[in-house]
Amino acid sequence: MKITRRQLALAVAGGTAAAAGTVGMIAAAPALAQNPPAATPDWDSVARAAHLQSAQALLKVDVPMDVEPAFQFRA
Amino acid sequence: MTDEIFFATITDLNTRLKKREFTTVELVRAFAERLEKIGPRYNALALALTEVALRRAKEIDADFKRERFRGPLQGIPYGAKDLLSFAGHATTWGAKPYASQVFDETATVLQKLDKNGSVLIAKLAMVELAGGGDYRIAGASLFGPGLNPWDPSRWSGGSSSGSASAVAAGLVPFALGSETSGSILTPAAFCGVTGLRPTYGLVSRHGAMPLAWTLDKIGPICRSAEDCGLVLQVVAGGDSKDEGSAGKSFYYTPQFTRKMSDIKVGFAPADMEWADPALRPAFQTALRVVRDSGVQMVEVNLPDFPYGEMADVIIGAEGASVFERLIGSGKVDELADPSQAAGLKASLDIPARDYLRAMRIRSLVIQKFRDLFADIDVLVAPARYSVAPKADEPLDTPDTGPQPAALGMRRLIPAGNLAGLPALCVPCGFAGGLPVALQFAGPAFTENTLLALGREFQNRTDWHKRRPPLVS
Repeated sequence: MKITRRQLALAVAGGTAAAAGTVGMIAAAPALAQNPPAATPDWDSVARAAHLQSAQALLKVDVPMDVEPAFQFRA
Repeated sequence: MTDEIFFATITDLNTRLKKREFTTVELVRAFAERLEKIGPRYNALALALTEVALRRAKEIDADFKRERFRGPLQGIPYGAKDLLSFAGHATTWGAKPYASQVFDETATVLQKLDKNGSVLIAKLAMVELAGGGDYRIAGASLFGPGLNPWDPSRWSGGSSSGSASAVAAGLVPFALGSETSGSILTPAAFCGVTGLRPTYGLVSRHGAMPLAWTLDKIGPICRSAEDCGLVLQVVAGGDSKDEGSAGKSFYYTPQFTRKMSDIKVGFAPADMEWADPALRPAFQTALRVVRDSGVQMVEVNLPDFPYGEMADVIIGAEGASVFERLIGSGKVDELADPSQAAGLKASLDIPARDYLRAMRIRSLVIQKFRDLFADIDVLVAPARYSVAPKADEPLDTPDTGPQPAALGMRRLIPAGNLAGLPALCVPCGFAGGLPVALQFAGPAFTENTLLALGREFQNRTDWHKRRPPLVS
């Protein structure tokens, strides 16, 4: 799948969506300022790229093997 | 009745009902008429329930007459975010594909409020599917963009849009909203009202639209911290119908508040750099007010994790599972925001390994917050670092300013949600005529401490009493 620079910029923004503090509200991305939108983006590609970006950010965290998922979630 | 009742607190209204200054029927009718008249200005109203409410109000009045008192919420009208089911009436989840959806059971929180004598007068507008799938426009709603009573060219915030704008405009004394990651705090901050995100599991979600089971919370949006405490006391409590229920109750106990001097409050100086310059004076003044209340102020750093990305993956994976049938049917394309529909579709393909990784990191986050709260009691930070954006502009307007080196508390909203922590949003000033707000966040089940700080702050300031110019 080919992703345009604009889509990638939006994807970066999407990756920080929840960081903006409201579910799904796409956050501002500095990259976007350098790549102003030219046409309606291919939202499917943008969304997939955003998830990819998020997944890559998670890989940077060192998680010891014995750490279990927070399934039995109790605050 | 005079117009000032529309901005009165719950305690004030309940006292006056008991004194028979007016009846529940009169109060309900006054609010319902105002909501139906003014609510559409802000796209705040999803469904008026005036007739049902007036019938219920008559029964409440009969209770008052017989001196059957049910507590401080008796006779108080309110509105509920349209993701809460109310038997026999439309519950749209703010989304076109569900526009004619009707449930035959009422959400637990609405049942509890009814039992305590509160009167549901309307369902309030929201961002479609509470924002699941990522929205990038204020118009991502069946009801149109949520508009801000302080400036209708601005967004109300979301996803509890109507809940916050209706309280701000004096259309309901209080409202229920929900938060998965920011959907109570953000609209409360943008609209200049007080919002409480309870600890995960404290309030039943039975009868509420699920978006992400391990993150969803229901909470009150009110005029004051005290009102939030009164509402939380009623809606909190264990519920066997909610798998995430912590099985705990909540009693609002301002009489047992800890001494302010015993409370350690963590703050991050870098927050001032992250905040838009126009907001900094309000935050600096607000922090001084917090300090002057006698608490111990301690500099802290938020544990460094990719909170936003974690929330993105967890909400994406859980939300796609929740809405799998919608996505598969193709009706997802009826959503108002095409990027949101695309987000939901793409989320179906989030690999299990990514979800599991996010949930394992989440275990680390929970532990780090436990460690952090071993030394301090509460975190204080800006609720939002900018004012409400324009309603007709994309929400991804680029941030071109220089990025501070330190993280500050900028990610406290997703971090607090991932760790299941409670937070209270209180108005703390204005910038360019738009509300600015602080948040207090604490360890699980410390709502009374947060409310005590909020009450102390509101005893020393009057920001929560300000009224939007057009509806004063």
